[in-house]
Amino acid sequence: MAAVPHKTPAAPRPSAVSRYVAWAGSVGELCDVVDRLKGLAAELGTPSPEGAEWYGQLFGKLRPQVTREPVMVAAVCGGTNTGKSLVSNVLVGAEISRSLPEAARTRCPVASLPRGLAAAVDLAALFPGFTPRAWSSDTDALGGSAAGDDLLVWREDPAGRQPARLILIDTPDVDGTLRENWHRAEAVRNACDVIVAVLTQQKYNDAAVRDFFAAAAAAGKSLVVVFNMVNWPAQRERIAGWYATFVAETGAVPLAVYAVPHDFARAESGTIEFFHLPELTGGSADPAAPPVDLAAALAGVDFDRIKLQAMEGAFRVVLDPAAGMATWLEAIESSSREWHDARGVLAEEAQVRVELPSAPRELVWNEIWRWLEPRRSRVDINLSRLYRAAGSGVAWVGRRIGVGRTEEERRDDFAAVELAALKQALATFIDRLEGACRRSPRLRALLGDTLVGGDRAAWYADLERRHAALPMVSDDYRAFVRGELDRFSRENPKFLQLLLTGLSVGSVARPCITVGLMMAGAAAVPAAAAAGHGLTTLVHTAGDYVVWAVAPLAGEGVLGLTMAGLKPLLERLFAGWSAERSRVLTETLHDVVLGDRLEVIERLATAGGRPEVARARRLLYDCGREFTR
Amino acid sequence: MTDIPSAALKSAADSPAGAALQPAPGFDDAGFDDLVTGLSRWSAALPDWPPARRVRAEWEEVAPRLDRARRELSRVLVVGVIGGTGTGKSTLVNALAGRDVSPAGDVARPTTVAPVVVVARDVDCSWLALDEVGARVVTSDAAAVANIVLVDCPDPDTQGPGAPLPAGGAQPPTGGAQRPSTHNHNRDLLERILPACDVLLLVATAQKYRSWSVASEVAAFAPGRPLLFVQTHASRDADIRDDWRQELERQGIEAPAIHRVDGLEAARRAAAGLEPEPGFAGLVKAIDEELVGRAARRVRRTGALDLAGWFLHQALGQLAPLRQPVADLSAGATAQAQRLEGLMEKAVAGTLRASRPAWQRVMEEELVERWHGGPFAMFLHALAGLGRLWPRVRGSGFVGRVLSGQGVPPVASGDGAWQSIGEVGLTEADVEQSRSILVGLAARAAIGEPMVGRVRLDERAVQTSVGTLMERTGHWLVGGVDRLVAERRDRVDSAWSRAVCELLFGALVVAVLGRAAWSFFYGHLWLGNPLGGLGFLEEALVWIILWGLCLRWIVFARLRAGLDRDIAGLVTRLPGARLVEPFLHDFSTAAVAAATFLETGDDLARRHAALEARIEEGRSTLGRLKGHGP
Repeated sequence: MAAVPHKTPAAPRPSAVSRYVAWAGSVGELCDVVDRLKGLAAELGTPSPEGAEWYGQLFGKLRPQVTREPVMVAAVCGGTNTGKSLVSNVLVGAEISRSLPEAARTRCPVASLPRGLAAAVDLAALFPGFTPRAWSSDTDALGGSAAGDDLLVWREDPAGRQPARLILIDTPDVDGTLRENWHRAEAVRNACDVIVAVLTQQKYNDAAVRDFFAAAAAAGKSLVVVFNMVNWPAQRERIAGWYATFVAETGAVPLAVYAVPHDFARAESGTIEFFHLPELTGGSADPAAPPVDLAAALAGVDFDRIKLQAMEGAFRVVLDPAAGMATWLEAIESSSREWHDARGVLAEEAQVRVELPSAPRELVWNEIWRWLEPRRSRVDINLSRLYRAAGSGVAWVGRRIGVGRTEEERRDDFAAVELAALKQALATFIDRLEGACRRSPRLRALLGDTLVGGDRAAWYADLERRHAALPMVSDDYRAFVRGELDRFSRENPKFLQLLLTGLSVGSVARPCITVGLMMAGAAAVPAAAAAGHGLTTLVHTAGDYVVWAVAPLAGEGVLGLTMAGLKPLLERLFAGWSAERSRVLTETLHDVVLGDRLEVIERLATAGGRPEVARARRLLYDCGREFTR
Repeated sequence: MTDIPSAALKSAADSPAGAALQPAPGFDDAGFDDLVTGLSRWSAALPDWPPARRVRAEWEEVAPRLDRARRELSRVLVVGVIGGTGTGKSTLVNALAGRDVSPAGDVARPTTVAPVVVVARDVDCSWLALDEVGARVVTSDAAAVANIVLVDCPDPDTQGPGAPLPAGGAQPPTGGAQRPSTHNHNRDLLERILPACDVLLLVATAQKYRSWSVASEVAAFAPGRPLLFVQTHASRDADIRDDWRQELERQGIEAPAIHRVDGLEAARRAAAGLEPEPGFAGLVKAIDEELVGRAARRVRRTGALDLAGWFLHQALGQLAPLRQPVADLSAGATAQAQRLEGLMEKAVAGTLRASRPAWQRVMEEELVERWHGGPFAMFLHALAGLGRLWPRVRGSGFVGRVLSGQGVPPVASGDGAWQSIGEVGLTEADVEQSRSILVGLAARAAIGEPMVGRVRLDERAVQTSVGTLMERTGHWLVGGVDRLVAERRDRVDSAWSRAVCELLFGALVVAVLGRAAWSFFYGHLWLGNPLGGLGFLEEALVWIILWGLCLRWIVFARLRAGLDRDIAGLVTRLPGARLVEPFLHDFSTAAVAAATFLETGDDLARRHAALEARIEEGRSTLGRLKGHGP
């Protein structure tokens, strides 16, 4: 058989095999880094690499084959109803796959293994993505295999004539209406070394068929072309033209070309004839030559050279800067840059100033009094109680005539105004998030579901619930006030002393102040908040109040000290209270509205600078150098 | 909008053959025209809703075809021969034309690179825009093409995906020289010629009947175009028609008949003037029976009806996921209105209860004004007169003003507008909360600006909405209060209770006067006792006043009894008054508009189904795309 470059299939030559075995480490590392980056890449919104040619070569060819006992995989591929199963059966020498007149009947690949190989190789690892299943009949490959469950039917060569390291596979079509067949054929194509391309005069120039074989040629697969159903010998002269078109379209350099005459009877009995056309691959034509045994020709190819060529081709595809793994890394980086920009947009847009009403003065003052309590003199305390009782009486009268409100009512008023402010802030925040989504498609992809599909009524309900559950003065705040006052008194011992003395001395002259405290309380707060006064205004009023309380007692001399020392303290005390109140909004936003999406954005915005990406880049560079050497 | 019915009438008068349009059996022309008009109106009904805009865009594609189907009812049918390369389209066309009109063979794929149009000598095909696609027109005297226009189309399967844009397209994986297929534009040409075809003749072989590229072209062009199916290469390939029928079924295509011919043999026999083989004869017969004369009109009509049905099916299919969101928006708008009205109810009830003294005064005045003619009435009027000397407290606040009959106060601008509705229990935050929730629901139904406004209303909108709300609330309150006052007044102000009061009051007066008369006439004049002086009258006056006050208290107590309950009853009627509508009306209006759009679509689908049911019996053996595409 002078069909194809002939070499005895002996043990692999160490030089050829050792060349690609040396890549094992790099291939393993590349696979590892791709696996690590895949989740991140999916989150970033880059297209899945699994459909890419380089991914198929890396995971379908290099990883399973780089360290294994070298076997040669030959796949029979082509369009629907071109006779792939028939050619496969002839190659195997037994009917492994039923050949039927209806198109696209082979739904899953069928492999014929040389005797003893099934025990030696792990088919699931050699053909990733497929579930191996032992052959039971020639109808195994028909129907059955549903999408998502990719079977690989296998059988050991019953005739015992298949070369020791050759696996023959019949594949589903590459151009029919069932797209899952295409994917299965592509997965087999990635794994194989030699492709027997079954073409017909109807299909040799179909775009789907061309693209399939062009990708195979680009990945270094060796091609054996079989023109099936030829009107022999009438169409013999035509084949040269068909072949020229095929080669020009696919860029393939086939090992050999054969013609199979159209013959119903022979097809039925599985005894079709293969006529070698050496003139198409550089030989000289011999019109009188008898048909050849394709199986023997295939067994006679130089396994090691073809294997090495296929492995090199696969590696070249992975390392190709224009279409290989580098493009995926670029996609990750550019996507991360977009997320970075999206983060900027979000930071710019999603800012809301919560216009909380000023803290009810009495609440903060109560805490201050409570802290002062143990430090005050007995006389002062007793007189205070007396005034308080008197003040309560006055307040009662005030309430009866309709000018005063109870403390509870005042707190309810305050809570209502505060809740309204929080709700408005929530509405504004949602509105601004929508604005950010309009500006950034990335944000829209991440937050759109929440903003469009989220149950906003539940968000408001959550805010209301949290707000209702919030005590007016929490233990945290109490501790904070005590801490601040302790610190203040340590820093200003003189002032405290003065104040306490003033309180004792001046307690006699204080009834109006106590009553004033009771009456004014928080009553003025809702009005102040509605008029748009913020925290600062409140602190000013509170400061004035202190001055008003202290000045008559201690004289003008204390005034400067009071204002200078107390103002920052009071500002802190009031601000601390407001900060604690507004925390409910942040909690609702985080727990109910946004979830962990902000963390996701943060992670994606910084993904491009992750060490895995840098490592992948370095690995690709190193592999490129190693490969060219 | 094209006026379909009048265009149809005009084309009937202008029709080249001058043949009167005979109604097809079972086909309701007027009903179909109505349906087309309805579809046209429907698709333009809601231009602000993006899903409806998409329906409109699809309608723009479909409408000219429907229009043409009506106008060109009696024109010969254009049959496009379509199929994969190498399936023998050109060979079949040659066989039908009776001579070699289109190059056919196995030299190179693809063979046909420009469409070939086969027409009978007397048929005018100038209306086909053939220059754009570089089509070649040939004439034929063959009987099979005497009354149709046959178009041999280029194949859809040899053009590569990147071919239309080779400059910017993807690099071939080989990285080598340009491929020959870069200049292949067969699919583009096919997609330009197919819109002109009325019927598709789908040619396939055993190798190509499951071709993905052919199936996708057929799926794109089958709507509204009846199909003929032919398996060629009959002498070489097995009979795959049953399997093909199943495959077509899977693609949503009904194929009652598939012809099986051998193009080469048919062409040879035709050229030699021999009797055609049975398969080919069957195809020619089918063309004659199904595509010529009255059958052509039927094909056009049913094709148009199918196209309308396909359009409706697609449109409603796209709209289907929005049905629930639209219903949710509608329910949400109602729920939010109820929430706001609940807040109003609470606040208004509180204010009304708090202004109880004002209520009482109003009711008492009403009662006193109607009571005349007795001593007790005089007493009441006298007291009311005294009361008027007291300076009257003018009602403050919105409710107070309404109760004291001062009408609805003008709405302040800016924040003042919000403050003024604060009195009826609404705040800016409450309204914004409702609007924000509804904006979310609307977005789910793909409804946005300008159908609905933004969360935060602008100042102008606030002022008009608040104005409307206050005015409505004022009217509602005044009406409710007047009714309540009238009810209570009528309850107390009966002839019987008047009589009782006058009797009781009068009895004391009579008793006092009687006692005075007794002591004067009997005691003084008869018995000669000295006169008691006027001291007695002072005492009597005090008693009369006390007695009058007591009676007045009883009457007014009856007037007041159960007032709180009645106030509560009054405000529970508030949600029915649709007072908060001004704040949310854009959402409820949008929901109604979208729901109406969906319902109109359903109604049109029902009308279409009714029209289709009438012609179902008259269906031919031609294939057609069923309602659901692949």
